[in-house]
Amino acid sequence: MSETNVPPLAEASPQSHQVGTGRRPLRCWRCGEQERSLLFCQRCGVIQPFPEDTDYFEVFGLPRSLALDQNLLKQRYYELHRLLHPDRFQTSSPEERQASLRNTALINQAYRTLKDPEDRGVYWLTLHGEALGKRNQGVPPDLAALVFETQELLEEFSQDPARQAEVERVREHIVERCAALRARLEEFYARFPSAAGSAELAELKRILSALSYLSTLLRDVERALEKHSR
Amino acid sequence: MKRIYGIDLGTTHSLIAYSEGGTSHIVCDPETGSPLLPSVVSFLGPDQYVVGNAAKARALKHPRETIASVKRLMGLGWEHVSAEDRQAYPFAPEEGGGIVRFQIHGRTYTPPEISALILSELKRWVRVGLGEEVEQVIITVPAYFNDSQRQATRDAGRLAGLDVVRLLNEPTAAALAYGLDKKKQGHIAVYDLGGGTFDISILHLHEGIFEVLSTSGDTRLGGDDMDRLVVDVLLEDVPDSARTDPDVLQAALSAAEQAKRLLSEQDETVVQFEALGRTYQRRLNRQQLEHLVRPIVERTLDPCRQALSDAGLSNKDLDDVVLVGGATRMPLVRAIVREFFCRQPHTELDPDQIVALGAAVQAGVLSGRSDDVLLLDVVPLSLGIETVGGVMERIIERNTTIPCSVRQEFTTFVDNQTAVDFHVLQGERELAKDNRSLARFQLRGIEPQPAGVPRIEVTFTIDANGILNVTARDKRTGREQSVDVKPSYGLTDEEIERMLEESFEHAEEDVRQRLLIEARTDAESLLRVTRKQLSATHVPTEEQAAIDRAVAALEEAMQGEDYNLIRDRIEDLKQATDPLARRIMDEAIRAALENKRVDELA
Repeated sequence: MSETNVPPLAEASPQSHQVGTGRRPLRCWRCGEQERSLLFCQRCGVIQPFPEDTDYFEVFGLPRSLALDQNLLKQRYYELHRLLHPDRFQTSSPEERQASLRNTALINQAYRTLKDPEDRGVYWLTLHGEALGKRNQGVPPDLAALVFETQELLEEFSQDPARQAEVERVREHIVERCAALRARLEEFYARFPSAAGSAELAELKRILSALSYLSTLLRDVERALEKHSR
Repeated sequence: MKRIYGIDLGTTHSLIAYSEGGTSHIVCDPETGSPLLPSVVSFLGPDQYVVGNAAKARALKHPRETIASVKRLMGLGWEHVSAEDRQAYPFAPEEGGGIVRFQIHGRTYTPPEISALILSELKRWVRVGLGEEVEQVIITVPAYFNDSQRQATRDAGRLAGLDVVRLLNEPTAAALAYGLDKKKQGHIAVYDLGGGTFDISILHLHEGIFEVLSTSGDTRLGGDDMDRLVVDVLLEDVPDSARTDPDVLQAALSAAEQAKRLLSEQDETVVQFEALGRTYQRRLNRQQLEHLVRPIVERTLDPCRQALSDAGLSNKDLDDVVLVGGATRMPLVRAIVREFFCRQPHTELDPDQIVALGAAVQAGVLSGRSDDVLLLDVVPLSLGIETVGGVMERIIERNTTIPCSVRQEFTTFVDNQTAVDFHVLQGERELAKDNRSLARFQLRGIEPQPAGVPRIEVTFTIDANGILNVTARDKRTGREQSVDVKPSYGLTDEEIERMLEESFEHAEEDVRQRLLIEARTDAESLLRVTRKQLSATHVPTEEQAAIDRAVAALEEAMQGEDYNLIRDRIEDLKQATDPLARRIMDEAIRAALENKRVDELA
């Protein structure tokens, strides 16, 4: 996506940080003004809490896209904090301080999620009503053998420290596969920045689910090695 | 608007500062001119106490009435107190669980109450020195302090009648103090080795935004531990039976502290302390000291590695390293830090003052006086709740930028259940029992429904102080749900209220009375030292006469109630004994050198 369509917050009027279409009109909590932007009331200038259903892209005034411009995201993140951080509202009314606290908590959560390609993908799925099951997802078929063998190896390693070299090789292998999957994810984001079709979402889910599996496996391997080195 | 003050409530000493016209200023002790208030409180009787130097002076003779390094105990329960600490502090008999308590002159005190007395003294400094009443403050805390320790610090502020507008992480404060007059980009590490705690924070500085990327540390590691190792060496000379004697321990401890400080400047010193009616002496050189404390300094490197890895950086990626805390004066610490980070650490700012100076900068920001600086800090430890099987389910990961909040939905397990219990934990371990218990709370007033039907949304919010707040809402009715929080190792609101009321009753506690006691205590210790010096050294007649006059004048002043007069007489006596003190110092150095020579010859 191109960043030229999106003016930086600082030079944008509060209006440009508008909420997406189809939302019911927002009223300023203090003066009742209807034409308010997402951040501040245009009439009385008071900070506004983000509406309950603000999505993470809206928070930054960015279009929904999987191919997010990381630099722009970061820049927006800092700009929003300069405007909304609780430090700026220390001497304000309790309502304003509460709004600042809530908004910055949401900004931090949104930033953390969007800046990480995997978390961004998982969030994208939830936006499209598709959850990446945390617990009871089956092992992706092409990983089943690796998962099984690794677990067996770790079991043996706990009895026989001599197998450390093997475990380290497996770790390297998993790290490589993760890297390959991450590359595939970025490729997918570049090709389908607004993935919404069921085939696209299914592919996204496959990549993310494999990544999540491998990360857990990698953590187990690293723990075993760490335990051993102690 | 009134000024906000920045307070460094330290393990060894405390400071108070403010910012004006873009620079930070430390407020000094109006009587002695020292910027450092020793964090020591000593009780002369029920509700009669002294703070600071006077308390430190009493520590030797009255160890069971004196509390130093109370910060080590903030927010702790009995089960967190080491066997050594159990001996070192005058604890009350252990009753039930919860927060630790001291017992002195038949009264019990909690660590926040002791800290509040230190804060009140700083408040007095400002009142006397600047003629201003301190109301709003920022208090700094180790970045690695958990929620209970933070709450305890905030409670101390409340008990001192202060409005604590913010708790600020010490390394972050140091970065603020350091970063303002330096270049404003890049990655910096703040290495903070204080009296009782170690903290490491990695920050990214970018156009006035100080973003903490990660933090790690050890709240039970610091200069005090080094002193104890030196004490162990000193006690080798003392008969077995006397090694646990509190008086002996105290005397050895102050000698150890002094030796550690001296050995940062010089290669060798003679450590001397009095116990059981005799004087113990031992020569100690820097090499021996470094050999002793090296393991402690090396223990700081694990948190450093952790912080770097959490920040996604390697030790070569840093642009600057800043040192904080008195213990970083040691050449060994500097060498180890330099080696680890491949950088010469910054030492331009006084490591004892840098945190207070930074707190004053942040005070300027919060009072709206400066808006070119913004701090984005993180939560140091993961936060979670206990779930089935005693496992901790993490809901907020460590190093998450604050403020942050997470919502989770809960339901009931049995039909018509109207309350749900939660156990909130902090730490990185898998099992609930291995993590620190923060609080238990109960959701009440849930409408009776079949099991699994109610949908209660609980929001865990960590505010800009790093302190947790819990709110709950019934998702079906939209009603706010009441949440009863019982801190595991803290004071409840009612307890604080009660303590405040009591302190108002004693508020008549006449500051004058205390100042008088402090002045007299200082005078006594000066007289004691002077007498000792006189008995040990030959003094020219003229000088002797001047000293005698000053002693008599001081003793006379001590009979009266005028503490200012006592202070003046103390100064006079100090002046009269100055040549004597110099000679004694020279002799000690000569003796040390001679000993060395004898040794080398042998």
